[in-house]
Amino acid sequence: MDRLVFDAAAAIAVLFAALMVLHRNPIKSVLALVVSFFFLAVCYVLLSAPFLAAIQVIVYAGAILVLFLFVLMLLNIPQEISQQEQRPIQQLLGGAAILLFAVLLISLLSARGATRVSSAGAPKLAADQIAPLARLVFSEYLLSFEALSVLLLAALVGAFVLVEREKRP
Amino acid sequence: MTLLDWAILVLRVALPALILPAIVIPLVWYERRMAAFIQDRPGPNRVGPFGLLQSPADVLKLFMKEGVVPASTDKFLFHLAPGLAIFAAIATFAVIPYGGTLSIGGRSIPLVGADVSIGVLYVFAITSLSVYAIVLAGWSSNNKFSLMGGIRSSAQLISYELAMTTAAAGVILSASSFRLTEIVSAQQGTWLGLIPRWNLIPQFIGFLVFFISTFAETNRLPFDLPEAEAELVAGYHTEYSAMFFGSFFLAEYLNVMVVCAMTATLYLGGWSLPGFDPHGVVGVLLSVVVFAVKTGILVSVFVWVRWTLPRFRYDQLMSLGWKVFLPLALVNLFWAAALEMWKAAR
Amino acid sequence: MIGSIPLTHVLLTSGALFVIGLAGALLRRSAITIFLSVELMMNAANLALIGYGAALGTLEGQIAVFFVIAIAAAEASVGLAIFVALFRHTETIDVNRINLLKW
Repeated sequence: MDRLVFDAAAAIAVLFAALMVLHRNPIKSVLALVVSFFFLAVCYVLLSAPFLAAIQVIVYAGAILVLFLFVLMLLNIPQEISQQEQRPIQQLLGGAAILLFAVLLISLLSARGATRVSSAGAPKLAADQIAPLARLVFSEYLLSFEALSVLLLAALVGAFVLVEREKRP
Repeated sequence: MTLLDWAILVLRVALPALILPAIVIPLVWYERRMAAFIQDRPGPNRVGPFGLLQSPADVLKLFMKEGVVPASTDKFLFHLAPGLAIFAAIATFAVIPYGGTLSIGGRSIPLVGADVSIGVLYVFAITSLSVYAIVLAGWSSNNKFSLMGGIRSSAQLISYELAMTTAAAGVILSASSFRLTEIVSAQQGTWLGLIPRWNLIPQFIGFLVFFISTFAETNRLPFDLPEAEAELVAGYHTEYSAMFFGSFFLAEYLNVMVVCAMTATLYLGGWSLPGFDPHGVVGVLLSVVVFAVKTGILVSVFVWVRWTLPRFRYDQLMSLGWKVFLPLALVNLFWAAALEMWKAAR
Repeated sequence: MIGSIPLTHVLLTSGALFVIGLAGALLRRSAITIFLSVELMMNAANLALIGYGAALGTLEGQIAVFFVIAIAAAEASVGLAIFVALFRHTETIDVNRINLLKW
């Protein structure tokens, strides 16, 4: 039953991701990505990460993509004009690179036995993971956590500085 | 799971989803009568006894009006936005416990749609999604006023979401859990045998921040500049007529009820009363009534404030959210942490 | 719950999402779409991390994703600030046209 739901959610996420890439209008792309992220959050829940699923929806779908939408709507970004200046060689090389990458990915992963993980002795994750997660973040990964807060502060200040208009004399 | 188990699960989840929109109809009547009382006028009193049939008549009117969809709108998003708004409002209620645990015939049925381990976070996640309904409504109307209303409204929503979440973090800290049923259980009992253990009392600042932020979250006065009639025509739902507008209207009142239910659960002890241990059917029904009364009192405060206070200007609104409520919520968080440390040290 | 979702499915989805994001980043010319494709690639990596965390019964995968999501938020805000500054100067979002080092 869980497998079915996971397969369905994953398929829908991939579908909307493809829609995101294919759409001309950037706003529709963002909305397709929102749906894709939402279904990814469903996949996270099925993989015993409910906390991260909620964080994914709150932060990624609910804040980052809203920020994208604001920028798009307030700056009135035009749709992409793809008729002029088509560079076929660019698209050809790009497509070839992607195909090569996909083939490499699949062959390397299956050759190295990526899915043959020995989970025989591994403990199963309980559904409620918040307390152990918090304990880990604040003990073993405390330095990363503090560095992350400094990073967020730097990003905040940086964003302000970057959009400052030049002072008109 | 047997068929009976499935039936019980469906009932648990579907009952609030069906009852809540039905309660909106008398709620609209209640708001209009209260508004009239505050403004010293009679209010609707012609259609039916005490004007009780006014709301159903309005709903009927909305159904029968022609729904005009402007030609240059984005049809898909235009139709999606009201549905998304209603979905977000009802989906939030799925995790709020509206009664005690019913033990019938060897089964214990907690009166909550889904008791997820990330209860409070789930509520905030769905609230973040409701921002999209407003942004989409504003943008797809292809109308400057709607767009400005939509952008202002969503900026307001995400700003006050921060203060709300940080205030709720204080509650989560004191209950040591994200589960809403555990937060309600942590508020059972009394201090000194007299004062109920509700989070309202030790975290009063947090309660104020949370409650006022919910006004901003539901776009109610004094935070309703995004849909202000005089400034922005009707803000993000300018182009919506007939039942589309009805959907937004419904979604707004549903949001009010859900948000009051959330406040009651986090700060007023949910369905519990001190010295009241619900057993059996009657006890559990009484607990549902207690929950409804608490939510009803908070909704009355919403209505009262709406018709009493003037509206905030947009820059006043944003600076209030960022410069006053967020620091207060952080102070509340430190205070809650200090209380926990004191409790642990005892 | 964990054992019932085979790792192959997770990796397949993650790989598909990553390749789609890569395609978007390489083949599209709108700066916003390229940015969104990069975000998609990060989410593909997140899914793989969580999948492995669940398969190995450890929380390290979730910790990594926790940090990745926060870093993505920081990066998105700075990236959009750059995008806004760029758009103000050049009035276009076609990356093929933004080809001057200084203007």
